[in-house]
Amino acid sequence: MRFPIQWKLKWAEERWMGQLLILPMQLLIWFVLIIPMLIVIYLSLVSWQPIMGVDWWQAPFAGLSNYVQAVQDPRFLTAMGRTIGLVLVAVSLEFLLGLALALFFHQQEFPGKRIFASILLYPMMLPWVVVGLCFYLLFLDKGPVNYILISLFGPSASVQWYQNPILALMTIALADIWQWTPFMFLVIYSGLGALPPEPVEAAMTLGANRWEIFRYIVFPMLKPVILIALIIRTLEAFKIFDLVYIMTGGGPGTSTESLSLYLYRTGFIYGQLSYAAAMALLVLILVALVARLAVRPLEREL
Amino acid sequence: MPKRAWTSVLARWGIVLLVSLITLTPVVWVLSLSFKPPQEWLAYPPTLIPRQPTLENYLVLFWPGNPVGVVSEMVRTAEPVTRAFINSLIIVPISTALSIVIGFLAAYGISRFGAGGNFLPFSVLTTRMFPPIAFAVPLLVYYRSLGLIDTHLGLILMYTTFTLAFSLWMIKGFIDGIPRHIEEAAILDGASRWRVMFTITLPLIRGGLAAAALFVFIMNWTEFLFALIFTSRFAVTLPVQVSRYAGAVGRYYGPQAALGIIASIPVLIAGYLIQRYLVRAFTFGLVK
Repeated sequence: MRFPIQWKLKWAEERWMGQLLILPMQLLIWFVLIIPMLIVIYLSLVSWQPIMGVDWWQAPFAGLSNYVQAVQDPRFLTAMGRTIGLVLVAVSLEFLLGLALALFFHQQEFPGKRIFASILLYPMMLPWVVVGLCFYLLFLDKGPVNYILISLFGPSASVQWYQNPILALMTIALADIWQWTPFMFLVIYSGLGALPPEPVEAAMTLGANRWEIFRYIVFPMLKPVILIALIIRTLEAFKIFDLVYIMTGGGPGTSTESLSLYLYRTGFIYGQLSYAAAMALLVLILVALVARLAVRPLEREL
Repeated sequence: MPKRAWTSVLARWGIVLLVSLITLTPVVWVLSLSFKPPQEWLAYPPTLIPRQPTLENYLVLFWPGNPVGVVSEMVRTAEPVTRAFINSLIIVPISTALSIVIGFLAAYGISRFGAGGNFLPFSVLTTRMFPPIAFAVPLLVYYRSLGLIDTHLGLILMYTTFTLAFSLWMIKGFIDGIPRHIEEAAILDGASRWRVMFTITLPLIRGGLAAAALFVFIMNWTEFLFALIFTSRFAVTLPVQVSRYAGAVGRYYGPQAALGIIASIPVLIAGYLIQRYLVRAFTFGLVK
């Protein structure tokens, strides 16, 4: 097929303009993303600490020894397991609570509904460090939570939340759930609002009960939205750092240390940047694999 | 009213009030703490309304050595938060503006000309997918060589890049929503491509741009990890100061609470203004 010459000119112009428009973004991505990624790969293969006094590009080659060290490092593996466990517990509770709240708000009508809905949303906006601070203060030995426990169950009910690894992890999970249940609520609630009303009405006339309507009509239609919310929240929760840093600092001992916190300490407190780079790459690979698996059902849905 | 209806109304309000209570309590407690004098910080039984309300906790943040009151006696050694506050007010708006401008240009190129193919918009998303600590390790090495550690510019570059995913995807959604024939009509009238972009499309998505800007502002204002690693003295931001203040003044809960409240106010206002857009924002425009 032959195109008039003006068309070709216009195409050339648009191509050129399009490339120009994305140029600033590409420069930034190269500068802050791609070059650093190449550096991290290089770093993970050498043995370098800032304290060694040589520049990083002169460090001795170490092969895969950093990786071997990582997969044998109990602190790395437990931090990984702990983080995954925390993510599973927190995200599934956030999802269930958010879903219940969204269904409740969707089905019930009451005065002031919009005001209450916007009250529910504000925790997402808060800086993580502030959420950590709030919960830290709530669970102090002489804080309000212990006061409530004591007045309900007597003086022996007071709990030293930060002395016990399980309880300390629980307060961190609670803070995360408090802050991010609103996200699940928001996404599912707006997803519910966007559904076409006809299928539900039809099912109602046919005599389906509430559970059947939810299970066979509403839930399948909501599935893509729910999957997106779960993927985003899971990836986000896996990064957990601020809450742990503020609330427990990983303690007692290293018993509440999250993956991000351990990497932070290895790289920036202990100064073992090569080792941190190798662990970071392992984490990247893991996240990429999980994300790939998670997106697959979504692709089928859309 | 029949008895059943009464109990269901009661149950409904019970749920609504309980959920609101749980949502509000942590912050209300900290708000109350921020107005309490030292003897009430851990007073037993705790009270929600301070018995002797004071502004000292706030005053001491900006003026640690001030001669009035007991709190300042206790935290005399702490550094004032003024610098962190000013740093946040410099770094966050600049990186937000850059992120929106760069995001708008790229979104337009991608939406209208398919620039960058399918791969580019998704590669930007990876900045949000991986834990930021993984980027921090190489960036430290890199920033050291370039002398960008503990500078405003260093944080601005990072904040701009790591919020591009949000601004690009949100703005792209808004541009995709503008029908092409509006632009084509203007081109037939002889307007250049660039003119169409700035005088036709840009004004049409003004509201969306403002929402994206406020959301990116929230993301940048609350960022902690990069600020913690890449600043030490000169370019410290407010969230780092919150964490550091907690450490520096030990168990002085009143000033900690006051600082937490101050750090939260700007983002709460921004969040309130963009309520309508929050779903889009948090899901990169995937859910509308």
